[in-house]
Amino acid sequence: MVHNKKKVKIGWIIAVIVATFWLLVAFVPFMFMVLTGFKEKLEVIMGGALAFPKGFYLENYKTIITDVKFWVYFRNSVIVLLLSLLFLLLFSAFAAYPLSRFKFKGRNFIYMLVVASMSIPIHVTMIPVFQLAIKTHLYDTIWVLIPVAVAFALPISVFILTGFMEGIPRELEEAADIDGCGRYRRFFEVILPLSTPGLSTLAIYNGVNIWNEFIFAFTLTQSDGNRTLPLALWNYQGQYSSNTAMIMACLTLSVLPMIIMFAILQDKLVKGMMAGAVKG
Amino acid sequence: MNKKVISLTLAALLAGSMAVAAQAGETLDFWEQGTDEPDKSLWSYAPDQFNANDAEEYGFEINTVGTVNDQYKQKLAVAMSSGECPDMYTHWSGGPMIEYIKSGYAQDITDLVKEAGLDQLYTEASLAQATYDGKIYAVPVLNNSVAVFFYDKQLWADKGYEVPETIDDLEALCDKMKADGITPFALANQPAWTGSMYYMYLVARYGGPDIVSKAYDGTGSFVNDATKYAGDKIEEWVDKGYFPDGVNSLSPDNGDDRALLYTGEAGMMLHGSWQVGSIKQENPDFYKNLGCFAFPKLEGSEADQSVVVGTLGDNFISFNCTGDALKAAFKMATYYSTPEWLQMAIDAGKLPPLKAASSEEPAWQDILKILNDASAVQLWWDQYLPSSVADVHKSSSQLLFDKSETPENVAQMQQDAMDEYLAQNK
Amino acid sequence: MKNKSMADRRSRDTAICAVVFLLPVLLLMAIFLFYPIVQTFINSFTQWNGISADKVFNGWSNWNKLVHDPKFWQAFLNNVKIMVLSLVIQMPIGILLATFLDTGGRKFNLYKIVWFLPLLMSSVAVGYLFRYFLATKDGIFTGLSKLFGGGAVDLLGNQKTALYAVILVICWQFIPFYMVYYMAGYSSISEDLYEAAAIDGATRSQYIRSIALPMLVPTIKSAIIMSVVGSLKYFDLVYVMTNGGPGTSTELMATYMYKNSFVTYNMGYGSAIAAGMFILITAIAALIMKVLNRGGDD
Repeated sequence: MVHNKKKVKIGWIIAVIVATFWLLVAFVPFMFMVLTGFKEKLEVIMGGALAFPKGFYLENYKTIITDVKFWVYFRNSVIVLLLSLLFLLLFSAFAAYPLSRFKFKGRNFIYMLVVASMSIPIHVTMIPVFQLAIKTHLYDTIWVLIPVAVAFALPISVFILTGFMEGIPRELEEAADIDGCGRYRRFFEVILPLSTPGLSTLAIYNGVNIWNEFIFAFTLTQSDGNRTLPLALWNYQGQYSSNTAMIMACLTLSVLPMIIMFAILQDKLVKGMMAGAVKG
Repeated sequence: MNKKVISLTLAALLAGSMAVAAQAGETLDFWEQGTDEPDKSLWSYAPDQFNANDAEEYGFEINTVGTVNDQYKQKLAVAMSSGECPDMYTHWSGGPMIEYIKSGYAQDITDLVKEAGLDQLYTEASLAQATYDGKIYAVPVLNNSVAVFFYDKQLWADKGYEVPETIDDLEALCDKMKADGITPFALANQPAWTGSMYYMYLVARYGGPDIVSKAYDGTGSFVNDATKYAGDKIEEWVDKGYFPDGVNSLSPDNGDDRALLYTGEAGMMLHGSWQVGSIKQENPDFYKNLGCFAFPKLEGSEADQSVVVGTLGDNFISFNCTGDALKAAFKMATYYSTPEWLQMAIDAGKLPPLKAASSEEPAWQDILKILNDASAVQLWWDQYLPSSVADVHKSSSQLLFDKSETPENVAQMQQDAMDEYLAQNK
Repeated sequence: MKNKSMADRRSRDTAICAVVFLLPVLLLMAIFLFYPIVQTFINSFTQWNGISADKVFNGWSNWNKLVHDPKFWQAFLNNVKIMVLSLVIQMPIGILLATFLDTGGRKFNLYKIVWFLPLLMSSVAVGYLFRYFLATKDGIFTGLSKLFGGGAVDLLGNQKTALYAVILVICWQFIPFYMVYYMAGYSSISEDLYEAAAIDGATRSQYIRSIALPMLVPTIKSAIIMSVVGSLKYFDLVYVMTNGGPGTSTELMATYMYKNSFVTYNMGYGSAIAAGMFILITAIAALIMKVLNRGGDD
């Protein structure tokens, strides 16, 4: 028994060492992104990205933070992110509920449709979506980006959530059934709270994707007032050369809100969530 | 600080909503590529002038939309396919321009150009590039860009290198550089059009500019002695280590090639003359010693040895509007030929395709001399050829630089693409 | 009789309820996904440059070309390589990281956040930075090679290695996603199970092996499907880092489609590629689902 404990301890120490190694693998590129933002343009060209800045050059970050346009893009990105996530989570949960827990004709067909939609290459939708945006007069507004973001994230989200809801024990729902809850109430009062880890995964994954979404923001908006953060890079990218240091500074600043979002949401992925929800 | 940000944001919001309001009137959309300085100011000059001086008279406002390079073509294609092509847009002429014309998104402006006397202002070659089927479809804006060798005068003086006249001289010089531990050519060939400059020049030196035009009109072929010579030469140079390590993964967008030149690790760089502007802006110290020379001649060749590879205009504006709107749009475009604008462009290290263009900058004087001595300009193949062939030209010529394909096969791949295009567009 | 009609009513209620819940999703997908893919299939039977108003129907000629196009099949093969290596590399590392965090608990929150960073970075930054890590001059692999007396290593510029170099970066970027996904899977396993196992004298590692991992199997299955579909339609980093080069060695189905549709003005053929992709990916995904589910029933 004692011997066994020792072995476990050694195993754990090795695991922590490996984990720390992986910490570096994940962190070093990120670190250089941040550091490159502290360099001057020529310094980047001469020294490449993998050198420490000679002196901490603050102008890049300063220029961006004091640029009104950056904050307009930022505001647009926040609006698009929040509204898209809201609708996305709600709609995917709606769809995943019957797909995972009901028996009805056409269930398998619809589920297969969802999987098939996951394999649609995004670029084929460009022209139809552009035409739709023009027809609905939503072209060059941030509002058009919301249904687009929701629609393209739906297949994978419904897929993930269906799998997740299948794992929720039937007894919990049946208990509510005995209490006389209808299907709609059961969804909101039992299933939705129990799906929190799944929903958090979706929020994290899709949140990142929506925040970094480039191709539709680029195709569907044109004026400065309606652009989102990924398009902010243009101000430092030209036809003949680009200012990498500025681009990296800009990317660093854009990623900060996502880190905060993750830091908050990751707590929902911790074990015990499930038990707590049931007891409460 | 916070307050300032908020009030500035509000101001921007207001400005944004006002721009929307203005769009309700008679507005002409103009898509251009000035996102970064100095291009941004250069492109916004003409719309600003028009909106200040002529908007009332013509009854139109110009609304500019700056878009960056990379996916610009895609965005334009999507807009066009939906019938929402902007009233004015920039392009690089060549193959794509012909697609735009054939699809009805570019107006014939021959008469307008003549009325305004622009044909007197622009160089003939640049207007020729804007012409299709005998009609002018675009106004040239920027730049003369020809491929020349750039080098560090100081370094060369220190080492006793001399500007090579012939390809034999060039090879002798390269060997000398190798002996001194210097990589001869600063090439970053990740996007492949950079290495294509060596290929195009060697083909032109051996066989003249007709090689590619004959292949295009179907009377000739890419499979010939000239492309064989060019391919063999490049592979020989690869063997001798004239190109930097990992040449196909270095990127000119990151300035990998300029960095090799700046640090003296490489001896010379064959590149488009727009590099003058970039170098001037990013490395003024190096710029003082920047020298240029033409691609050396091939002794014993019957082809015209003064041909330069490049373009006499690489950004053009075409018009997708008619009547009064076209008149207003065209008026706006004429501001890109005023002396004031020309001076702005020259100060930014550029050389617009205007006859009056001249420059005090030493690097540009070298380039202008090369241009004046040239009997003809061989258009970049990737601009001249149909897009599908251009794409194959780039990806196949890249294979010479890691010697994974033989020169014969590379020529054959280009010919196959050409055949397919010709078969489809009979 | 009465019972039957009640059962009927119940199943009708179920169907109505299902429709109500599914409606928003079906509507959005119809507009933004089904309609475009139908359009794509129609366009695949035309010769169209993608910009002009006239499309000329040309029958099966695009499809005929597609089936015999070695470039397309090479691209498909490249996608398959991404698929296989993603499964082999991302799945185990993702599970290991999630297991570590699940065992370690809140103490390792910082690890969790840092491990997640790769997924947060935009592909522009990832592509740019890894070009330096993989560079021939002063890159990591050249450094390692020199340490052992070797020469410079050119990964991205070499046709034989470029694809694998990019796959490495793709894995680096996507491992955090699977990590989070498996963590969510772990979190839905009730803590009571561990407590019960602990009372029976099981160690943590015994618990993981014989209780937690088997319960994670459904999660692993759907992760496999997602990874397969994602790999087969991959576009991002390849477009940023190599754009299909050198030569055509890293060309993928999606980049090949993009080039045809928007760069060389051959939208008809581009649509055929997209439609072909759609068919291939759906078929492979359906096949894998079938295989996985059969395994589960045994």
